[in-house]
Amino acid sequence: MRAGTLHSTAYDDVPYTRGGAVDRTEVGALVRSAVDGDAAAWKALVEGLSPLVWSVVRAHRLSDADAHEVFSTVWFRFAQHLGRLREPDKAGSWLASTARHECLKVLRGLTRLTLTDDPQVLDRASEERTPEQSLIDSEEQALQAERIRRLWQEFEALGERCRQLLRVLMASPPPSYLEVSSALGIAVGSIGPLRQRCLRRLRARMDARGAA
Amino acid sequence: MDDDGTFPAEGFDEAGFDGDLLEEELREAAAVLDPVPPELRRVAMGAYALHDLDAEIAELTFDSLVDALPVRGVPQAPRMLTFRAGELTVDVEVTEEGLIGQVLPPQPARIEVLGGPQTAQPVAVDTLGRFTSDQTPAGPFALRLRTGGTVVVTEWLRA
Repeated sequence: MRAGTLHSTAYDDVPYTRGGAVDRTEVGALVRSAVDGDAAAWKALVEGLSPLVWSVVRAHRLSDADAHEVFSTVWFRFAQHLGRLREPDKAGSWLASTARHECLKVLRGLTRLTLTDDPQVLDRASEERTPEQSLIDSEEQALQAERIRRLWQEFEALGERCRQLLRVLMASPPPSYLEVSSALGIAVGSIGPLRQRCLRRLRARMDARGAA
Repeated sequence: MDDDGTFPAEGFDEAGFDGDLLEEELREAAAVLDPVPPELRRVAMGAYALHDLDAEIAELTFDSLVDALPVRGVPQAPRMLTFRAGELTVDVEVTEEGLIGQVLPPQPARIEVLGGPQTAQPVAVDTLGRFTSDQTPAGPFALRLRTGGTVVVTEWLRA
């Protein structure tokens, strides 16, 4: 399941895989196996698609409590609908779209409105010692961690539209544009250009920071 | 189209800018700084137990959060939900005090409030299918109804 990159040793609990835990062409087959009672297929679906669901939730800047509830709701509903999905191959889009709608409901429910500027994430990125950091001992890894932290800060400081798009795009394994479209309610055709633009903007911020 | 102000210098992208590489770096950063919380991965794993081919799904057809105009000056307006499975309709009101609901057409039923794979709380139902629960669901919930020979589960929802 794990690609065995250098990260997997430093961050043991992080299911980071460069190659992708689930080949998107296999999603339909996994759904059908899971319907037939194959628990390993369900596990593979969770491993491969939960980062996408989490990214969608995070892109909408819910509080931690709301984020957890939406995430759970989405997976409960997915399990409930498993045998009835019209297009099992597009389970990723189904999950992304369901997550989006649940997020929007949270944001509409004014009585429960708990918009946040993601203080937890920002804090985590700026704290002196994070749990992740304590695992880092070599200087090279420390430099890498510093770079990641700076990148994250600049990403968080992007405009809302870019921040949302990039937060979904950075799910691991990388989501398809159809999934991104379902996650954010934007046309598939506009994702590519917007992505380029947002990444350029982020690069410019990093460069400006480096030059300062 | 954007909220970011001006666009970086022109020709930036012609200088061999590699967006894929930057996106990959972001992916690494997210895996370290904002991964799926392990407890949520476990929740998703456990959700498999909710997969039940025998139960009919009652789909959410009305949700006041989406389908109704906000009531001005009534911030605590109860959430109204309607679920439908074939001829069967379930109306539910979620308030601070708990749940009130009605099965239509009126009929006796056994009803439980589900809170996850392991949690099922029976609620009081009268012979006409009216039910009440003095607990507001904390988090995702669904109703499981047994009426006649059928089992119907409402779509999972966040209260």
